[in-house]
Amino acid sequence: MAQPPSTTKSLLARAHSPDSASRIFDDKIQYRSFYLRPSSPPPPDAREARRKARRDRALTRSKQKPAPLSARARRRLGLYDLPRDRQRYALYEPLLGLWQGYVRELLGNELYTGGQAAAAKLSAGEMHGAEVEVVRSSCPSRVGIRGIVVKDARFVFEIVTPRDRVKVVPKEGTMFRVEVLLEDPPELRGEGQNQGQQGREGQEQKMPESAVPGDDATTTRTSRPRKFVFEILGDQFLHRGADRANKKFKTHFLKNV
Amino acid sequence: MAHVEQGKLPTKGKPWHPILHQGFNHKIDLVLPDECYELVKQKLVERRAPPVYYRVVMTLGQILDGLFFNEYIKRGNILMLSEGRKTVENVFSLREGLLTMYLDKETYERAGLVGKPHGAKGGRGVKPRWIVSYQLRDPCMLHGKKGFDRLTYACKNVLNQPLTWLFCDLSPTPANPDPLQQYAPVKFTSNPGLHPALQVEMPTLTIPSEILTHGNRPDLEDFATELYEWFSLVRLGSPRVAANDDIDTYLSRYRVPDDAGPTTKSKVCKLTWQGFLTADWVRGLLIDVLATLPSRTWFSLSATSFSQGMTGDGSEVAFLRPPNSAGQYLMWEIKGQDA
Repeated sequence: MAQPPSTTKSLLARAHSPDSASRIFDDKIQYRSFYLRPSSPPPPDAREARRKARRDRALTRSKQKPAPLSARARRRLGLYDLPRDRQRYALYEPLLGLWQGYVRELLGNELYTGGQAAAAKLSAGEMHGAEVEVVRSSCPSRVGIRGIVVKDARFVFEIVTPRDRVKVVPKEGTMFRVEVLLEDPPELRGEGQNQGQQGREGQEQKMPESAVPGDDATTTRTSRPRKFVFEILGDQFLHRGADRANKKFKTHFLKNV
Repeated sequence: MAHVEQGKLPTKGKPWHPILHQGFNHKIDLVLPDECYELVKQKLVERRAPPVYYRVVMTLGQILDGLFFNEYIKRGNILMLSEGRKTVENVFSLREGLLTMYLDKETYERAGLVGKPHGAKGGRGVKPRWIVSYQLRDPCMLHGKKGFDRLTYACKNVLNQPLTWLFCDLSPTPANPDPLQQYAPVKFTSNPGLHPALQVEMPTLTIPSEILTHGNRPDLEDFATELYEWFSLVRLGSPRVAANDDIDTYLSRYRVPDDAGPTTKSKVCKLTWQGFLTADWVRGLLIDVLATLPSRTWFSLSATSFSQGMTGDGSEVAFLRPPNSAGQYLMWEIKGQDA
């Protein structure tokens, strides 16, 4: 009937009153699982390390929701095919308009102020239908590709260009510039505002820079469309849209920017 | 040194190849015995027109555009160099239709042009730089062609800052109307600086025969280096080579080299040209000097390029014809750190 003396309980009794010692034991210690194969110490040899890495990858993949399709399922469903008659830029222009409205609604006042708050909202935002331009890349042939995003995969953007071609642009080592036209009631704006702001994602805090609209200087200020411009650092964007929504982006120092 | 004909200009072999290789010369110095001063002054200075160059502020897009492009690049022959240091800023140069751009990593990645890495290999924690070159005289380099359009896209979006350029037109007849004038250039003329009758202590300039017969390379290098040092001091106008120099050895340990033979006190004269000088002009000057001077006199010609590295040193080509040895010469090629 008498319980054997427990080392744990005697240790607890040294530090806490009998009531709190028993409470702590019941709540926190008694039903805690004891791993026979703990995650640390690190695996003793390379083979164990590879085995562990394989197991962890399988675990994370099984946790991805929505679960990615296998290659066979993707081919059979044909969900991602884009037949030639649907590869026309004019077809996606209304989608672009929709996306611009979505972004204006998403950012709200941050359209005019820019900065970290805008970057946080945009990093979780949806990129399908955005008009992007490749602005900087470690591969010279990618620079200058412009178009509407029709597919935002984990490592690539599929872009329909104004010349009705679909370009698959890898995100790695590439920076994309996106411009959002602002609503422009000039009587509310006044003369003191910047032309537009630029935010950067996944990077150390930088002062918001003013964007260059790129129109000729002869048009007046009120007729020139004002834009909010931001750049996406593709290296930091290597996640599916669904995963990005829950990911917290920390500010890091990036050596290659 | 092979015989030089007046009609055909030599391009191959030494000493002509290193002289032509150094395209952008900043300073030219000619050191001669003082007896030849009048002769040289008459023939070289008064008969030849001094070289002319311009300084102009333009963007790269303006160079590739319109009348300037057609007139100067496609039809003519110009030399242009933009301001800056190759290892720090973005530098552009144009020589014989070849546009070379030295860009840092960010500019290169934004420009979207294909290039080669420049500088020391390996990461070393320092961002590498890139060289992009385009031969603008190619028939495919026209507005509307794909390769050229990539260049114009880069010029419009990335390389669109106005830069200060030095411009030199090599063609004998000036273009009319001159497309350069619309950019308001500043004209410069490189008149030679004349320094006659400098009293110096001169070392023996002939190569010692023992070095030549035994083929003793290290000794030859020592002799040549000391001689180069002496000529550099003369060009700088240093008082250490003056004939009556008696500075305390605590302050300067320089001695005019006398290993090869005794030093003599004699008079030399110096002519200097400074500006934006082409390799063709330097070659022409060397040919004229060889033709003008009697074959037993010695002379030294040196051409220094612009200092374009972070350390501020430029590359140099120096030529010496020793006395009493027609057809023999010594040549120094000094390369800067980033050449």
